[in-house]
Amino acid sequence: CAKNLDDYNVDQKNPDKVTASSLFANALKELTDNITTPDVNINVFRFWVQQWTATTYQDEPRYDMITRSIPIKYWTPMYVEVLHDFKESKRITEADPLLSAKVKANRIAATEIASVYAWSVVVNCWGDVPYTEALGTIGKPKYDKAADIYTDLFKRLDAAITSIDPGADSFGSSDLLYDGNAAAWLKFAHSLKLKLALNIADVNDATARSIILASADKAFTSNADNASFRYLSSTPNNNPVSNSLNSTYTSRKDYVASEAIIKMMNETEDPRRPFFFTSVKGIYIGGEAGLNNTFAAFSQASKKVIAPDFEALLLDYAEVEFILAEAAERWGISGSPADHYNKGITASILYWGGTQAQADTYLALPNVAYATATGNFKQKIGEQKYLALYNRGYDAWTEWRRLDYPVLKKASQATLDMPLRLFYPTSERTLNQENVEKASASMGGDVVTTKLFWDKF
Amino acid sequence: QNRTITGTVTGKEDGLPIPGVTVKIMGAKGGTLTNQQGKYSLDVSPGIKSLTFSSLGFVSQTQTLPLNNILNVILTGDDQALSEVVITALGIQRKKNELPYAAQEVKGEELTKTRDNNFVNSLSGKVAGLDIKQSNMMGGSTNVVMRGFKSLTGNNQALFVVDGIPVSNANTNTDDQTKGKRGYDYGNAAADINPDDIASINVLKGAAATALYGSRATNGVIMITTKKGKKNSLGITVNSGVTFGKIDRTTFTKYQNEYGAGYVNQYSKKGYDSPDGNFWYLDVFGKGPSLITPFTQDASYGGAFNPDLKVFQWNAFDPTSPTYGKATSWVAAKNDPSSFYKTAVNSSQSITLDGGGDKTTFKFGYLRTDETGVLPNSKIKKNSFNFSGDHEVTSTIKISASANYTNVNGLGRYGTGYDGANPNQQFRQWWQTNVDIKEQEAAFNREKKNITWNWSDETASGAIYSNNPYWSRYKNYETDNRDRYFGNVAMTWKPLEWLDFLGRVTYDGSNELQEDRLAIGGADVSEYARYNRSANEVNFDLMANFNKQITPNLNIRGLVGSNLRRTKVSSIFAKTNGGLGTENLYSLSNSVNAINAPLERYERVAVDGLFANTTIGYKELVFLDASIRRDQSSTLPADHNSYWYPSVAGSFLFSNLMKESTWLSHGKFRINYAEVGNDAPPLSLYDVYKINPVFGGNVLTSITTDKKNPFLRPERTKSIEAGLEMNFLAGRIGFDFSYYRTNSVDQIMAVDVSTTTGFSTRFVNAGTVRNQGIEVSAFVVPIKTTDFSWTLNLNFTRNRNQVIELYEGNNNLQLADYRGGVTLNATVGEPFGTLRSTDFQYINGQKVVNDAGYYAQSAPNQVIADVNPKWAGGIQNNIKYKDLSLSFLIDIKQGGSVFSLDQYYGQATGIYRESAGLNDLGNPQRLPISQGGGVILPGVDKNGNPNTKRVEAYDNDVTPYGYINNPPAGYIYDASFVKLREAALTYALPKKWIGDKALKGVDVSLVGRNLWIIHKNTPYTDPEAGLSSGNLQGYQSGAYPSVRTIGFNFRFKF
Repeated sequence: CAKNLDDYNVDQKNPDKVTASSLFANALKELTDNITTPDVNINVFRFWVQQWTATTYQDEPRYDMITRSIPIKYWTPMYVEVLHDFKESKRITEADPLLSAKVKANRIAATEIASVYAWSVVVNCWGDVPYTEALGTIGKPKYDKAADIYTDLFKRLDAAITSIDPGADSFGSSDLLYDGNAAAWLKFAHSLKLKLALNIADVNDATARSIILASADKAFTSNADNASFRYLSSTPNNNPVSNSLNSTYTSRKDYVASEAIIKMMNETEDPRRPFFFTSVKGIYIGGEAGLNNTFAAFSQASKKVIAPDFEALLLDYAEVEFILAEAAERWGISGSPADHYNKGITASILYWGGTQAQADTYLALPNVAYATATGNFKQKIGEQKYLALYNRGYDAWTEWRRLDYPVLKKASQATLDMPLRLFYPTSERTLNQENVEKASASMGGDVVTTKLFWDKF
Repeated sequence: QNRTITGTVTGKEDGLPIPGVTVKIMGAKGGTLTNQQGKYSLDVSPGIKSLTFSSLGFVSQTQTLPLNNILNVILTGDDQALSEVVITALGIQRKKNELPYAAQEVKGEELTKTRDNNFVNSLSGKVAGLDIKQSNMMGGSTNVVMRGFKSLTGNNQALFVVDGIPVSNANTNTDDQTKGKRGYDYGNAAADINPDDIASINVLKGAAATALYGSRATNGVIMITTKKGKKNSLGITVNSGVTFGKIDRTTFTKYQNEYGAGYVNQYSKKGYDSPDGNFWYLDVFGKGPSLITPFTQDASYGGAFNPDLKVFQWNAFDPTSPTYGKATSWVAAKNDPSSFYKTAVNSSQSITLDGGGDKTTFKFGYLRTDETGVLPNSKIKKNSFNFSGDHEVTSTIKISASANYTNVNGLGRYGTGYDGANPNQQFRQWWQTNVDIKEQEAAFNREKKNITWNWSDETASGAIYSNNPYWSRYKNYETDNRDRYFGNVAMTWKPLEWLDFLGRVTYDGSNELQEDRLAIGGADVSEYARYNRSANEVNFDLMANFNKQITPNLNIRGLVGSNLRRTKVSSIFAKTNGGLGTENLYSLSNSVNAINAPLERYERVAVDGLFANTTIGYKELVFLDASIRRDQSSTLPADHNSYWYPSVAGSFLFSNLMKESTWLSHGKFRINYAEVGNDAPPLSLYDVYKINPVFGGNVLTSITTDKKNPFLRPERTKSIEAGLEMNFLAGRIGFDFSYYRTNSVDQIMAVDVSTTTGFSTRFVNAGTVRNQGIEVSAFVVPIKTTDFSWTLNLNFTRNRNQVIELYEGNNNLQLADYRGGVTLNATVGEPFGTLRSTDFQYINGQKVVNDAGYYAQSAPNQVIADVNPKWAGGIQNNIKYKDLSLSFLIDIKQGGSVFSLDQYYGQATGIYRESAGLNDLGNPQRLPISQGGGVILPGVDKNGNPNTKRVEAYDNDVTPYGYINNPPAGYIYDASFVKLREAALTYALPKKWIGDKALKGVDVSLVGRNLWIIHKNTPYTDPEAGLSSGNLQGYQSGAYPSVRTIGFNFRFKF
C-alpha cells in the first residue's frame, strides 16, 4: 500500500549525489557565459560602452533595462547557477575523506578564487548585495555593504593564496580555465587581487597600494597566463557571442560596430581593427548609438569574435599591465607607467593577432605614446584599456565608471542616463522587500545614477 | 387472513416492465421490490388498504388494493427536471430532489447538437458556476474551472469521471507554451471522450458532492454517464455531419493602407539612404543605387504609398517570380493577411449500436472526425471506439465492462505565443503593409522555398525574423499522435435486497508522441524535437452499498469503500543539436552536432483511500448526509502521509409540507460543509542535482533551482454551501440558487524566493485562497401547447476570489512573467490572477502627459488588471413547433481583463489603422509637426490642465503608439463579451416521409457555433483568445481569430 512506497519520492532520473568537480566546472561555465553573452535580454554592457550598437531595436542602446527585465536575468544566474554551485562544490570537497590534503586545499582555493571573481562582478554591478546571509537557509538575506564585501573578498583571496600548493593537483580537466594547474590559479589569484585593489584606489588609497605592492610581481606575466575560457565549436558549449551573432545560429542581424570605438581606432589606424571588426569595402564605419543602422552599411563584429570556439577572457595579461601602469602613476611603485602601458597595449595587439611591428608602430603614434597622448593618466590609460577590453562589456563598463574615460556621447533619442549600476531586480522588491529597501536607502537610492562606493569621481 | 397481492409494474412510455420498483405497504411495515420482469408478490394483512409504488425516475403512485388481488401498475416517467435520477459521486444514483448539494445536469443531446469535436466547449454557458474558456485553435485546449481558481500553483481543472473512470483534463503543453513562448496547444485530454457516447453529464460543483472522490475532486467533478443498451432491444443511431469554419473578421487586424515598410522615413532624424529618405539605396541588378524596400524592418512606418514610385520589393529578389529583377509600384497590398486563413472543414461521422437480450446489454460506438483548420496544412484525425456491456450472471451477480480507444492524429497544430510558428506574430505585430499575402503564397508554391518578405539583406540571402508564412506552415510543422485507452471491469453482488457490493478496476492510459520540426532555410536554426510520453492510472475500488427502509418514514443508506490509485508518468524529450544535416529528414541522427542527452522524467503516485458515507432520509422531507474519507499518499513524507476529511450535508424538502399548494410544485433548501485534503506533486520532497550537457568530456552538474521540502503536510480546502431550489406553476418556472464559500488553506506550492538564497523556488505549505459566489440556474417555459413550446434556461455565476495569505508575510506570488513587461500574480488582498506592470499616472482620472508629450508612467509593478470575470451567464432558448425545433445560446461574460501583446507591439510598428490617418488639424498625422502633423495625446499635463503638447506621430522608432512610450497598462482590455455561441435548427422528418419501417426517425439540423460576437471591447481580437488551458490566463500574444462554424447534421435512428 501507499504507506510503504517511500521510493516513489525518489527521483529515478536525477542524481542525489554528484562530484565537486562537476559542480565546479558547471559554475565556471555559467560564470563565463553570463559575463560573455551579448544577449540583449541578459547582458547589454557592450551597447552601453558603445563598442557595439543595435541595428533596429534601440531600447538597450538607449539604456532601457526594464523592458526586458535585464537586472534579474543577470542577477539570478550569478547567485543560483554560479555562486551556489561553487559553494556546494566547496562543501563536497571539504567533506571528502579520501582526498589528499594538498589536492583538497588546491581545490578549495580554486573554488574560492573563482567565487571571489563572481562576487566581485555582483558587487560591481549593484553595490550592496546579500553576501553573508546569501546562499544559506535564510529566506530573506540581508544586504551587506559593498565595501565590507570587498574587504572579505580580499581576505578570502589571501587565504586561498596561502593554501595553494603549486606542485600538487587540483581539479584536473574539470578545471575549464587552467586544466587543474594550481600554479596558474595562484597567478590568477594575485592578478584578481590587483584588479580588485585598483577598484578601491580612489576611496582607500593605502589599502589598494599595499595589496598591489604585495601581488604585483606574482601576477600574470604573459598572455599564456590569461584566465581564458576555451569554448568548444558545437552547441551548447560554443561561445554565447556566436549564438547571437553567427549566422550558423541566428538569422538576426542586431549588432553593428559603434561609432565611438570605430572613431578612436580609425584615428590611429589601430592594428586590431581587422581582428575586432569587419570592414565595409575596406572602410571601418560605426553606427550611431540609439538610431537605426542598416546592417550592411556598417562594420560588424569580426569572424574571430563570432567564431563558436572563440575563447572568453575573465582576466588577462594586458589588464594586469594597465593596472601596474596605474599603480606606478598613483604610487610610484613597480616600475614606470609608460613601460607597463606599452606592455599592456602590446599584449593586447599580440593577443588579437597583430604583430610586434604593428604594436611598435602604434605605440610610436603621438596620440598613443604615453608621454604625448592627450589628458591625464586616467584618460590615457582609460582609453587604451577600453580598447583592450573590447568584447568584454562588463569590464569595459566597470573601468569606464572608475576612470570616466573615454568620453562617451549619450545615445541618440535616449531619455535615460548612462547607467552607473544596475537596478535591483524587481523580484527582490516583492520577495526581500525590507532588505532591498534598506540597501537602496543606504546607497542613495536604487537608481542608475547612484555611484558605487568605489566610484568617487 | 393475509392476502397475497401480485402484479406487474410497467412504464407508461415504453410499456416495458420496470425492475426494482419499491412496493410499500401503506400503514404498516413491510414491502418488496419488483423482479427483473417487473413482477412482485406481497403478503398483506387484513385492514391494509393500499400500496405505494416508487422507483427512481418515475412518479410514485399509491393504489387501492383491488378485490381480485391483482394489481398491475403503470408508472409515469418523471420528466420534471428536478425529480430526475442523477448519478452522483462514485456512481450512486439519487433523486435530484433529495440532493443536499448543488448539481446540474446537461443532457447528451445538448452537447452534440452543434457538433463541436471537443464536447467540453459545448458546456459553455450551460452550467452555473462552471467557467469554460475555449480555444480558437484547431484541437486547442479548453479551460474548465469550477467556482474559481482555488490552488495557487496546482491544478485547478475540474475532474472528469466517465462511468467511474477518472479522466484528467490536464493538457501536456509545455511550460514555455503556457507562458507565451514557443509551443503548441495539444488540447485537453477530456476531449478524447466521444460526445455521441454521452448520455448525460452531471456537474457536481462543491466539495460536499465530490468529497468521496478524494483529493482530486476539490475542483468539482464532471460526471459523465455514457449511453447504455436496453434489454431486449436493438437500436442503431447514425450521425453524419459536416461544418465549415471561417474567421470572424472583427477578431483580426485591420491594417492601415497609407504607408509601407520601414522603421524610418524622410521625416525621421535619420532617414534611409535613398534621396527621398524612405528606402534603402543600394546597387542591385547592376542598375546602380536603387530604391529597395527596407526588408529587415518588420514595421510599416516607412514611405507613403505612391503608385508612381517603383521600388525593388521582396518579390524582385525571387528568381522564380515574374517580378524578378523588377521594381514595382509602391502600393498597399491587395490581399492582407486575413486571406491567409482558409475555410476550416470538420466532418464527423458516428454510429452507435445498442441493445441487449434478457440478461445482457451492450453498446458499441464508433466516431470518426476529420478536421482541417483555418491555417494551411493543419488537420486532426480522430477515431474513437467505445464498447460497454453488462451481463447478469445470476439474479444477484452482475458483471460489466467498458473499453474505449481513441486515436488522435494531429498535423500542423497552430503555433502559439511569441514565436515564428505562430503566423500572427507577423500578422498582428511585425508586418509590412505593402506585402500581398497571396503573392507570398504564390512565391512559396513555385519552388517550396522560403521566399520571405523579410529578407535579411539586399542580397536576399535568407529570412531575418519572419519566414514566408506559407513556408512556415508547410515546412515547420508539428505532428502528434495520441493513443488513449480507458475502461473498466466491475462486478456487483447483491446478496440482500438492501445490500450490494461493487468491485471495480478502472484504467486510463495514454501514449503520446509529439514531433516538432524547424526546416533548413528558415530564420531559426533547423531542428527536430520529439517528446514521448506515456501515462497511466489504475484505480481499484471496492464498495459496499446499503439501502434500508428502517421504518416507513426512515430510510438509511450509505456505503463504505476503499480506493487504491496508482499513477505513473514517464516521458522522454530529445532534440537535435546545432541544426539538421540533410534537408527534409526529421530524425535525431540527422543532427549536425552530437545531440545532448535527452531529458527523462519518471513520476509515480500512489494514493490509498478509505471512505464511508451515509444518508438518512425522513419521510421524503429531510435528508442528512455525512461522509468521511482518509487518504494516504506516497507524495507526502512517509511518516505523515495520511489525512482525514469529512463532509456533512442536509436537505429539507419544504414543499412536501405544503402539498396542497397550487403555485409551488417543488421547494428544497440545502446546506452543507465539506473539507477535502490534497497531497503534494510527485517528487517534491527530496533535493536532487541536475546534470547539464557534458563539456568536452567533462561532466557538468548543478544544484536544481527548486528547493524541495521533506516536511510537507497535506493541503486542505474547506467549503460551505447553501442552496434553494423552487419550482412553480406545475414546473413552468423554477430556479436553483446556490451560495458557496471555499477556503483553500495550507497549500503546497513552489513559491518564488529571493534568488540570493541560491534557489528560485521553494516548496512550502502556505497560502489561503478564498472563493465565494452565487450561482443561479433557472428555467421558464413561457409557452407550452401541443404544437408549440418555448423553454428558456438561464445560468448565472458570480465568483469572487481573493488571496488571503501567502508565504512568510510575502504579499505577492508571481505566477508568470509574460513578454511585454507584464506579470501574472496572486497578491494578498487581490483576486487570484492580477496583471502587474507599469501604469499610467492619473490626475482626477485623466492620464498625465509628461513634458515630452508622452504619457507619464507610474512606478513599476503596479496591479493594473484583474483577469477574473465579474460574472458570467448563459441564456439558452429552445423553441419547438411540431417537428421543427430551434435552439440558440447566448453566452455572456462580464469583466475580466486581458493584456494584448499584439497591440503593445503592433501599435508601435505602425500596422494598425490608428497609427495613420489624419490628426486633429486635419493633416496626415505622420507628417512632421513642422508640416502640420503630429498628435496631441488626450490627457492632462502635470498641473492637471488639458495637454497641448504635440508630439511626432513617428520619428526613428519613437512613437506615441505602442510599447516604446507607453506603459503596458495601455494594452489592457476589458474581456467582456456577449456571444451568440451556438444555434441549431432541427427538423425531425415526419414518419410518413421516411417510409421505411426499420427507420425510426431522421433528424436534419442546420447548426452553427460562435456565430456572432454581439458585444466586445477588445480591438481586433476575440476576448476569449488565450494561450491554452491552465492557471495562466489574461494574456494574448499572436491571438488567433475566432472561427465561425456553420454546418449540417443528419441523424438516423433505426
